Amino acid sequence: MSGVIDLLFWAFGASAVVTGWLVFRTDSMVRAAYWLMASFVAVGGILVLLDAQFLGLILILMMAGEMTIMAIFMVMFMMNPAGLNPMTMVHQHRASIISGAGAFIVLALVALFANFLAEPVPTGAEPTVDLGVELLGGSMLVFETAGVALLAVMIGAVALVSQQGRFGDAEAGSLEPSLETEGP
Amino acid sequence: MNALASVVFVALVLLVATYLVAVIDATIMIRVSRGRGYTGVWMDPIARAARLMMQRGSRTERPDLQVWFLAPALLAGLGAVALASIPVAAAVHVADNGAGIVLFGAAMLQVMVAVFLHGWAANSVFPMLGAFRMAAAGMSMSIPFSLALITTALPAESLSVGAIIVSQEGLWNVVRQPLGLPVYLITALAFSFWGPMQLPDAADLAGGTTAEISGVALLVWRVARIGVLVALSAMGAAAFLGGYLGPVLPGWLWMMVKTAGLATVMVWSGHHFARMRIESVVFLGWTLLLPIALVDVFLSGALTL
Repeated sequence: MSGVIDLLFWAFGASAVVTGWLVFRTDSMVRAAYWLMASFVAVGGILVLLDAQFLGLILILMMAGEMTIMAIFMVMFMMNPAGLNPMTMVHQHRASIISGAGAFIVLALVALFANFLAEPVPTGAEPTVDLGVELLGGSMLVFETAGVALLAVMIGAVALVSQQGRFGDAEAGSLEPSLETEGP
Repeated sequence: MNALASVVFVALVLLVATYLVAVIDATIMIRVSRGRGYTGVWMDPIARAARLMMQRGSRTERPDLQVWFLAPALLAGLGAVALASIPVAAAVHVADNGAGIVLFGAAMLQVMVAVFLHGWAANSVFPMLGAFRMAAAGMSMSIPFSLALITTALPAESLSVGAIIVSQEGLWNVVRQPLGLPVYLITALAFSFWGPMQLPDAADLAGGTTAEISGVALLVWRVARIGVLVALSAMGAAAFLGGYLGPVLPGWLWMMVKTAGLATVMVWSGHHFARMRIESVVFLGWTLLLPIALVDVFLSGALTL
């Protein structure tokens, strides 16, 4: 059984890296978004292998919605007609190369020199229960503060972008303008 | 369960259940109108499948071929994954370890991705409009859907579908959480894009995401869509109607009867209600179902405490 798990780990790991690379190699915004989702799905698979079923599966669940929203927003905000024409997914090459290489070096150093725990999950452990106790126990203040802050940001973002409704100001409601011309 | 046996098991259950839903659909259809070339309730799904298999496939200009071919397969696979998370009888399940209900939810949310990509890949107007409809409907319905489903985990104090079924030993969730099943069924219509919420593939878009496909691709897509409906009905039966629990009859038979019952309700809705507009679906999700689902969570949480 552990042989199968090793095989699955390497398969998920390889697909996470390859699909992550493909995000930048494709010429379509929708494809880029969903390659990124595929990468996260592979990471979710690794989390499930680590016996964190809830975290892994909730990652896959959330990414479906998030990447769909991202794809649609990218298409909406592009000057490129409907986001349908092929376009390059990379820009600001020098800054990207420097920050990418820097991040890689830092992460590689962490991987090489950090003192990772080598304790297998104890049998009978309930990771989902532990997570719930952590979220609503010791770390409740941190998570609730972050949650309320994120909610405020979302409401603020909606308020900022909904200045203009379909028929004028957002607060003007959604009544059609009159067909009669006003004024002279 | 042994891995290969599990795969064969899920595939077989899905195949038989898909066929039965197609028969239910045809049974209702015959009451509504008898079509030309109609060969009887039990033969009709096979005749329709055979007709599609003999059609030639169609092609658009510069489609995203890989995505276009893979999307129906993804949809079929997601139906199977979702079904695998549901015990069909006491302790008979394929993938309900610890967080089965989250696995089911993840598969259903990915259905939105499969439909979106299916419409997007054709590089054609009507399929793309269908894709955007699915994104809008899925986004609006996903939160009430997840809330209604996760509320059933509160009395069970577990995310495992098996534990949720066992927790309904004394009282089914449909009674204990009366708001849950209606919200679940309405949102399930959006995720199986069936009945009044058949928007991505709707006739008003000349078939939407299926407008540009024919032949085997269309057959796989339709079968996969029924598979998703089966998985949603089975989860409705497990989470709200006590799954395999019931007197006299064996557990698997109860599960089948309840699943078929919910599938019939959803298929029936397609023949009796008008298709909703996408604006109404979005409005319904955010302004009505979401508050109801939140009340459901708070009430059930208080009752569980």
